[in-house]
Amino acid sequence: MKRRDFIAGTGALAALPWLAGCTPAAPLVTVLRPGLREGHALREAAALPPPSGELRCGVAILGSGVAGLTAAWRLAREGRRDVLLVDGPEPDGNAAGSMLGGIACPRGAHYLPLPDPGLVHVRELLADLGVLTGGLRDDAPEYDEQALVHPAAERTLAGNTWHEGLLPTSTAADAAAAARFNADMAAWSARRGGDGRPAFALPLAASSGDPTLRALDRQTFARWLEEAGHTHPPLRHYIDYAMRDDYGARPDAVSAWAGLHYFCCRRGRARNAEAGAVMTWPQGLSALTAGLRRVAAVRTLSGHAVALSERRSTVEVMVQTADHRTVTLVADRVICAMPLHVARHIDPALADALPRTALPETAPWLVANLLLDGFPHERPGADLAWDNVVLGGQGLGYVVATHQLTRVARPAATVFTAYRAGWGDAGEARRWLASASEAELLEFALADLDAAYDHRWHNRLRRAELVLRGHGMAIPAPGFLDAPARALRDRGGRVLHAHADLGGLSLFEEASWWGERAARQLLG
Amino acid sequence: MPPQSRSTPDLHDSATPGTDAGTHHPGLIVAVFVVASCGLAYELIAGALASYLLGESVLRFSTIIGTYLFAMGVGSHLSKYVDEKALLARFIDIELMVGLLGGLSACALFLIYAWAGSPFRVSLYALVLLIGVLVGMEIPLVMRLLHQRKQAFEALVSRVLTFDYLGALAVSLLFPLVFAPLLGLARTAVVFGLLNAGIGLWLTHRYRAELPQARALKLRGLLVLAVLLAALAWAQKLTDAAEAGLYGDSVVHRETTPFQRIVLTRWQDDTRLYLNGNLQFSTRDEHRYHEALVHPALAALPQARRVLVLGGGDGLAVREVLKYPQVERVTLVELDPAMTRLFRDTDDLAALNAHALRDPRVTTVNADAAQWLETAEGPGWDLIVADFPDPSHYALGKLYAVPMYRLMARHLAPGGLIVVQSTSPWYAPRAYWCVDATLREAGLHTAPYHASVPSFGDWGFLIAAREAGYRPPSALPAGLRHLDARTVAQMFDFPPDMRAPAVEPNRLNTQMLVHYFEEDWSRQMR
Ligand SMILES: Cc1cc2nc3c(=O)[nH]c(=O)nc-3n(C[C@H](O)[C@H](O)[C@H](O)COP(=O)(O)OP(=O)(O)OC[C@H]3O[C@@H](n4cnc5c(N)ncnc54)[C@H](O)[C@@H]3O)c2cc1C
Repeated sequence: MKRRDFIAGTGALAALPWLAGCTPAAPLVTVLRPGLREGHALREAAALPPPSGELRCGVAILGSGVAGLTAAWRLAREGRRDVLLVDGPEPDGNAAGSMLGGIACPRGAHYLPLPDPGLVHVRELLADLGVLTGGLRDDAPEYDEQALVHPAAERTLAGNTWHEGLLPTSTAADAAAAARFNADMAAWSARRGGDGRPAFALPLAASSGDPTLRALDRQTFARWLEEAGHTHPPLRHYIDYAMRDDYGARPDAVSAWAGLHYFCCRRGRARNAEAGAVMTWPQGLSALTAGLRRVAAVRTLSGHAVALSERRSTVEVMVQTADHRTVTLVADRVICAMPLHVARHIDPALADALPRTALPETAPWLVANLLLDGFPHERPGADLAWDNVVLGGQGLGYVVATHQLTRVARPAATVFTAYRAGWGDAGEARRWLASASEAELLEFALADLDAAYDHRWHNRLRRAELVLRGHGMAIPAPGFLDAPARALRDRGGRVLHAHADLGGLSLFEEASWWGERAARQLLG
Repeated sequence: MPPQSRSTPDLHDSATPGTDAGTHHPGLIVAVFVVASCGLAYELIAGALASYLLGESVLRFSTIIGTYLFAMGVGSHLSKYVDEKALLARFIDIELMVGLLGGLSACALFLIYAWAGSPFRVSLYALVLLIGVLVGMEIPLVMRLLHQRKQAFEALVSRVLTFDYLGALAVSLLFPLVFAPLLGLARTAVVFGLLNAGIGLWLTHRYRAELPQARALKLRGLLVLAVLLAALAWAQKLTDAAEAGLYGDSVVHRETTPFQRIVLTRWQDDTRLYLNGNLQFSTRDEHRYHEALVHPALAALPQARRVLVLGGGDGLAVREVLKYPQVERVTLVELDPAMTRLFRDTDDLAALNAHALRDPRVTTVNADAAQWLETAEGPGWDLIVADFPDPSHYALGKLYAVPMYRLMARHLAPGGLIVVQSTSPWYAPRAYWCVDATLREAGLHTAPYHASVPSFGDWGFLIAAREAGYRPPSALPAGLRHLDARTVAQMFDFPPDMRAPAVEPNRLNTQMLVHYFEEDWSRQMR
């Protein structure tokens, strides 16, 4: 296909400056690097203006990601009214949302699988937010159907056509490999350790401690897949996609235990949805963080912590406010709900307990929200779905922010959110993100869309918001179950830690569980 | 319009003369621009035509584009086999062929659809394939031609690409904005055919010294030109005749809006409205549909002051609503402004709805009814009429799901009613009763009924209320043609062969209604 190859080869982007001269105008590009400036200032121990005021509170929660907000919600629910939440550089953290051209869209996390009965805190939280609408303690409760993903949920571009679903099954060989893999995962999912607990569960802490199972954490998932004979290339493309999508790394960098956990930990059911259903919102999981803020009604300070010190009966936290003042926060207790690589610079107890080298490698992520003034023309095969994945593609596909809306006609504009993670070595990838030009970043973000559509889709692109997360999430590499970060769980004293990093798996349920746990400890 | 051959764009801006592709052969570069424009145009025309005639626009459009791109790939592969020595002559031949085939494509498809019916899809895809193959050969051949003429390859690729893009851009903008609305599809295709043929002829003339059979080529070119010019003159008549053949009657109005293709036909006293080829009403029996839609509910609400009509930009439902003097305010929410404009401002069409849309009690809102309802405020409505398109795909299925009905219920005044058009209980029984189950799932009490509308067959409706106790009205406004107290009472009766099957309610995440609808209707189509 010569003519098309030219287009693909030179990159449709090469034409963007050209198009800019005529109509339609080049898209307006915004690049966001949440937390980068604040984080680097901490690392370099930048000087601060002297404190200009003092604030008192019972509990200070430092960080308003899922962990911090869950803690705030639990404390409020238990009647604590003396809580102050310090947002940090990015309110809502990795679950933040955005608004482009009046259309709500995610800046990070976008879906939540049905929680199984063991995830009590997630179910309670969903009930408080009106998402779980009945049968809180049932095996299969009822959920708000507005949130359950509407069909068509997923499709995959393989060869030149779109297929329904994520797991390739179009040829007999594909289907056989998929069936064997599914059967294997179903068996692992049902498996229990010698202690009677499920091999893989959420929260992570509910998983079995059986050493024979934990031994899986000593090899890579890629190795395990080889040995188990799951080598059919299209299946491997899918698994590779799944690992990059959830852990930001390829199977050869991920622990086999973590890899299996991804496929085997979810047993949630719903009265009004099929097993394996997931929930989503146009704005992604920021629908939940916004809900938690609403229900917790917590006092919030816009700024970030730069240091804390434990006194005899209080903790003093230095906060740099968004308007560049320094405030001293005096709290009885503190929940430190920020990523560990940041907490290290703030909590002196961590500096020694957690040398830099003891922290897990983190995966950089790029999330691109693309405002389109119309839907691009589709190629043959399955219709546009909520989640659209290019099999063997460079990126992690794209989700459609307007998918869950009810409309008589297709909306005149929409947002596609494209994700990229798990390319190359994490450190190099991060450096590239830091140095790449805006045009390079955009081209990189659009890779899957360029594979999915003919170049004319660019005519629809109005705005692009590129969210660069240099330290998007901890990678669960082999050995992550015994990482020293786990020691922090029982740091003791007036400071508690809560963040997905503590368990090493970056998932809503995990982050939320650490917030829940800190709040419970604090409540006594 | 793409520049014609004489106005050669200035290509000498950056590169040094001699290595600059196009310096010595501007004609070929202009050819790239035209060829790219035309190539895209035929693809857009075929896609647009298919979606107007066959509906299901997204799927149709995408398969057409897929086929076309595939064919282009085949074409570019085939181009390898063109003999190096006869390159220019073959290129000119291809231009003439593309011009002829592409130019006549829309006319031909219209005719086939109107009179031949069934082989339409086959012809459509065959034509798309054929044109795609030819178009796919064009650019590789131009590249080789330029290469033969000693153009530096890199400069060449970028030049060709630039003009390829520019051509595509020009057409992608001009097609929906200028050509389609101004000329219609058939004539647009002919115009592009003329461009292709023009390029062929011009190249024959320009390079006549190099071409051994220049005369024969020229003759062929002139012939194609003549055919196309004739087609241009006749295209409108031809498509009118075709559309008349297609719709059976003569077309009195046709309009392409950003939302749909509106066609009105008339034969004697029967006016019909088609949206994207689907019959919406025939004046012969629309009174049956609209009386059945409105009166069983509204005549049972003597206190009704405020009525909301969702969908139905033809104003026919509003006409029925206005038969109640106590109604003070009617709000009509219709997506397509062209529809409401047509049925308000065109006298003979407005006559169909008794000028309902000009009535001071009526407010017309051009918005997406689902979105509008999400944000609407103000006191509740005594009657909400939901006249949405049938749930033929997932996006439309959501308009018939539990949350939509809960939302409507929230907008009801105390004692108010909802009425929903809900497909045919005869042809699509599971779909019809699924709507009923869904309304009940939303906590509403329902009263199912149906009417016979010859154009559609036995058609179903549902009245829903927050409170139980709806009774069919015993008195109706004067001047109805189909309904009286006796026929109204009969409508609520379902004979034994139309009893409700067991069905699940329609949920956003399962969309059972769309499955039922598809399965029920495809069983009918056998
Ligand atoms: C791109 C992406 C997509 C994802 N998709 C999903 C998904 O679909 N489903 C899912 O379940 N999970 C997903 N995850 C994982 C999920 O988002 C995270 O696990 C979860 O949001 C982590 O929450 P957290 O509270 O532990 O931490 P974070 O989100 O990292 O929040 C940290 C908080 O700390 C604050 N902070 C930082 N420094 C300071 C400071 N100095 N002082 C005070 N506060 C500070 C920040 O402002 C932020 O509010 C995704 C993650 C990423 C990166």
